[in-house]
Amino acid sequence: MKMFRKLLLAAAIFGFTAGPAHAGDAIVMDGSTTVGPIAKSFAAYFTKNYGVQVTVSESGSGNGAKSLINGACDIANMSRGMKDAEVAAAKSKGVDPVSHVVALDGIAVVLHPSNFVSALTVDQIRDIYTGKVTNWNKVGGPSAKIVVIQRESNSGTQDSFRSLVVGKKNPITKRAETQASNGAVKSRVASTPAAIGFIGLGFVDNSVKAISVNGVKPSIDTVKDGSYPVARPLFMVTNGQPTGNVKKLIELNRTADGKQMISELGYVNKY
Amino acid sequence: MNIGTRKLLDRSFTAVGFTSIMLMALALLAVLVPIITGGIKALYFQGTVEHRTLLFNEFQRGDEAKLAVDAERSEAARKPVYEYLAAFDTELESLPFERKRALESEYHHVRDTLHELLGPLPGDTPPLLLRFQYGVTRWEKAEEELHNLLYMTKWDYSDPTKMATQYFAPRVDEFTGTSLEGLFGYVEEHLEEMLLPQPEFYWGFITDRSLDAHIFGGVWAEIQGTFYLAIGAMLFAFPLGVIAAIYFTEYAKDNYLTSMLRSANSTLAGVPSIVFGLFGLAFFINTMKVSESKSVLAGSLTLAIMILPTIIRAAEEAILSVPKTYREASLGLGATKWRTIMTVILPAALPGIITGGIISLGRAAGETAPIIFTAAVSVGATIGIADVFTEPTPALSWNIYNLASEHEAANEIRHVQYGMVMALISIVLLLNISAILLRARISQKLKG
Repeated sequence: MKMFRKLLLAAAIFGFTAGPAHAGDAIVMDGSTTVGPIAKSFAAYFTKNYGVQVTVSESGSGNGAKSLINGACDIANMSRGMKDAEVAAAKSKGVDPVSHVVALDGIAVVLHPSNFVSALTVDQIRDIYTGKVTNWNKVGGPSAKIVVIQRESNSGTQDSFRSLVVGKKNPITKRAETQASNGAVKSRVASTPAAIGFIGLGFVDNSVKAISVNGVKPSIDTVKDGSYPVARPLFMVTNGQPTGNVKKLIELNRTADGKQMISELGYVNKY
Repeated sequence: MNIGTRKLLDRSFTAVGFTSIMLMALALLAVLVPIITGGIKALYFQGTVEHRTLLFNEFQRGDEAKLAVDAERSEAARKPVYEYLAAFDTELESLPFERKRALESEYHHVRDTLHELLGPLPGDTPPLLLRFQYGVTRWEKAEEELHNLLYMTKWDYSDPTKMATQYFAPRVDEFTGTSLEGLFGYVEEHLEEMLLPQPEFYWGFITDRSLDAHIFGGVWAEIQGTFYLAIGAMLFAFPLGVIAAIYFTEYAKDNYLTSMLRSANSTLAGVPSIVFGLFGLAFFINTMKVSESKSVLAGSLTLAIMILPTIIRAAEEAILSVPKTYREASLGLGATKWRTIMTVILPAALPGIITGGIISLGRAAGETAPIIFTAAVSVGATIGIADVFTEPTPALSWNIYNLASEHEAANEIRHVQYGMVMALISIVLLLNISAILLRARISQKLKG
């Protein structure tokens, strides 16, 4: 057992010397993968400039809300508003959720670049997602079976897409494939020529093609002026009005540095 | 059955056995080779002057005098690029409106790609995010970016019934006759002087903190978190498991309750790990409130419950396989039952018990699902040992998943993902090897 003990001791000493002890006021953020990049950049900025530790988990908007309701996080990152049921659950546990808009985001509808369809209307996208249209040649594209890609039910992006495009009451086709994050949808679309998917504007790069919706290209300008139809605000939700460091972190998006980070990441500033 | 048939059957069985072992070895090789070749790239690569500057600015590491010389050399090589851009900026203003608009978007691409290559250009607002403050840090990425600069990716949409095919068109054609025309040739020719790549062994990948959400820097916080979680789980599960095994084998009566407990234990061993994760969240965090939010403690407890059945089963088998004569001899000499267990049975069973521990330790280090809700975060600092009761930690298994699927720049940081996978495999291997050595020493002692 001697060696085992030695090993344990070594590991313990390792930990002692390696980890800088820090003040206990760490801020815990949990929730949306869409808000994730902003949260991570804010966290790094905050730690660097104020010396306060911030941890960020990306487990989806739904889990962020649950985490806040259970008092397990200080800030829930949400890419959709709190649902009535969530607000009720929070109230019953004595949590008072207050939403703050951190930035605006367009949901870009993305196709593989080899698909020459470059514009669709909201109605066409709805028909594709409800399964009415199953081939690209019905919407002016090549003859190929459409591979429909959606997000999981925990996703705020999925929720916003459903209410903005598909309609809450219309069920999404059973043939739709589910991916668990913006990144996963992007790489699935980038590797599948006949695919259609939707991701946050900040995730769009040249491996996929973001198409115009109702004739409007998704961009920072069109999201900001409201002409791009598939746009939504992103939230950070706190328990009660924030105070102290949490307040400072939430209001980072009103400072010049915060605004610059948001636009460097490809999101749209509200302020 | 005559001798000939028997021999034939024997041989063919040997052949089948040998083939299956070879197939398994090949499969293992197919898994390990890409992990190792990919993982090495995180540690050893052609680093550019940008990478050396980054290391110096963020970690104060490197030879300052040599860096200054390099920076000056690369700055000299970059100067003509900046002059081309400045000249084109003024030319653009003087062009007729329509030509200007046509060129502007293409020019935007050129500037963006140059920014990727060389870092912020003169006239850009200084970026705040670290990822935009430096040019390419790795030479293989520089070659990709150079291709993006020199060629436009176009799609041939001429056949409306088919999917388009990809082709490349030289970007310089868009700018013929302008002052920017010379830039492309110059960059292609002089890229090496601008970036000064040299082989670099970046050991900091193991020991540095991550910078800008793993885009730069190392994975120390994850490695440390993995150690904490695996060892913490062992601290809870190993003693408990051994005690339970002693109870089952030495004290428990052979009745209905015991067999119920045994089958419950076997069932627990087969429960999917995500169930343990959700259980950990519901029980340890929401009900017991061992910590306010995710913490290493909650994660370790969850992992401990997950590996407990394996440890109990292994320890039970090990204790049962101790020859009956040992026990009889000890009891015959007048030792009490407790003394027999402590001084005779447990030492003899220890190698087997530790084998169970080894398997469980590896599993605890590699599991993702139980820690998603109980301990792991995607971004967080390294924590001291005093913080394990309250603070969550990044951990290799979860961060590999996070970087591969959820990270906004997942395609850019494949080397970090591979590096993490290699680190995780090395840790598990290291833990196993040290435990195997330990077991060998104990067996040796018992024999001697």
